[in-house]
Amino acid sequence: MTMQCVLLINGSTYRAEIAAEDTLLTLVRDVAGLKGSKLGCNQGVCGACTVLVGGWPVRACLTLAADCTDADIVTVEGLERDTIGVRLQRAFGECGAVQCGFCIPGMLMSARALLDKNPAPSLDQIRIGLSGNLCRCSGYRKIVDAVRLAATENAA
Amino acid sequence: MASFHRPKTTQEAIALLAMPGARLLAGGASLVAMMNAGLLTPEAIVSLKDIEALRGISVFADGSVRIGAMTRHRETAENRELHGCFDCLRMAAGGIANPVVRNMGTMGGSVSLADPGADYPAALVALGAMVELEGPTGRRRIPARKFFVDWYATAAQPQEMLTSVVLPSVGPGVGYYRKLTRVTGDFAIVSVALCLTDAGGVSIAIGGCGPGPIFSDEANALIAQRPGDTGSILKAGEILAKLADPVDDVRASADYRRLVIPRLLASAFSIVHENWKSAA
Repeated sequence: MTMQCVLLINGSTYRAEIAAEDTLLTLVRDVAGLKGSKLGCNQGVCGACTVLVGGWPVRACLTLAADCTDADIVTVEGLERDTIGVRLQRAFGECGAVQCGFCIPGMLMSARALLDKNPAPSLDQIRIGLSGNLCRCSGYRKIVDAVRLAATENAA
Repeated sequence: MASFHRPKTTQEAIALLAMPGARLLAGGASLVAMMNAGLLTPEAIVSLKDIEALRGISVFADGSVRIGAMTRHRETAENRELHGCFDCLRMAAGGIANPVVRNMGTMGGSVSLADPGADYPAALVALGAMVELEGPTGRRRIPARKFFVDWYATAAQPQEMLTSVVLPSVGPGVGYYRKLTRVTGDFAIVSVALCLTDAGGVSIAIGGCGPGPIFSDEANALIAQRPGDTGSILKAGEILAKLADPVDDVRASADYRRLVIPRLLASAFSIVHENWKSAA
């Protein structure tokens, strides 16, 4: 049984014929064609698929698309539409926070959610905020540095 | 392929649950993960997202608390009205997985799954919580102690759904929750939940060491008789370790878990000691 659904992603409306089992990640990547969010573990563990739904971070792989028809969804591609998002993207570049890059979209979204609720997080708060995102290059230090830099610019 | 439903009321959800192969969807952290792994293929998915009555935490004048099934772990962890003995549940919620998963997972979803390594079961048993269930024939409340009946099995009937958990007022005191894990946020190798009232009441529950939380009135009484006495705490820990029925798994062996129970208990008591009036 499929159903017609309308999703609001990064301010654009997407119409699709979906199955009940389709995850938000499938919709974002395969229907909307937004390939920034990554399919890693598909179990909610790695964090590479993290997106914002209604301003809160969720795992797109554990969220059913049919449950999101009335929500404002932001993926990593949507970060360029807000000041803090752009700040984070630049800071990741400046700090050399990206190695293979697979985890970075999720890192950015968790960091974006953190700075939204806490504009000036401490080092520990940044680490906790990113604790659900795994980087298999183990490049955590520069990722944390980048979030710190963006937070400092936030305060300035 | 499954059908998808978003009922507006609990009664509608219960009616939909009668469909063959129906599953309730709360936060998705467990259900969708199992679907992705091919372990579950529901024929009907009933999302509880739009049911207002299942949301939020209410604190009543008598000091009791009701936590709706759709309350996220984040909300429970951040609720400042959960203090004193209720810190036990607040701490348990705050230690689940990571901030993003805490923003998804719910009280009802976690408790209904009854994963023995999860954090809520032991905390709820220590606090003497009641689990509220609603089915086609009405509503009932059963003690958390009787709700977790086996590995991933609860006392809920097939057409019943968990609507809330209720924490009875226990008066002033201290609550504490601690788990031993390999990495922060993981399922517990062993967890300990404490509810210690200023009036001298002691309630301990151990998680991660059997099909459901381990508790013993004898162990509780032993500590209540001599609050703050290390020997009594270790003896109580031995009683609980004997009652435990842990398994060998990727996190730890059963023997190791039994060994840890009294030590984790003693460690937990050493931390709450100063704040517990009966022991001080």
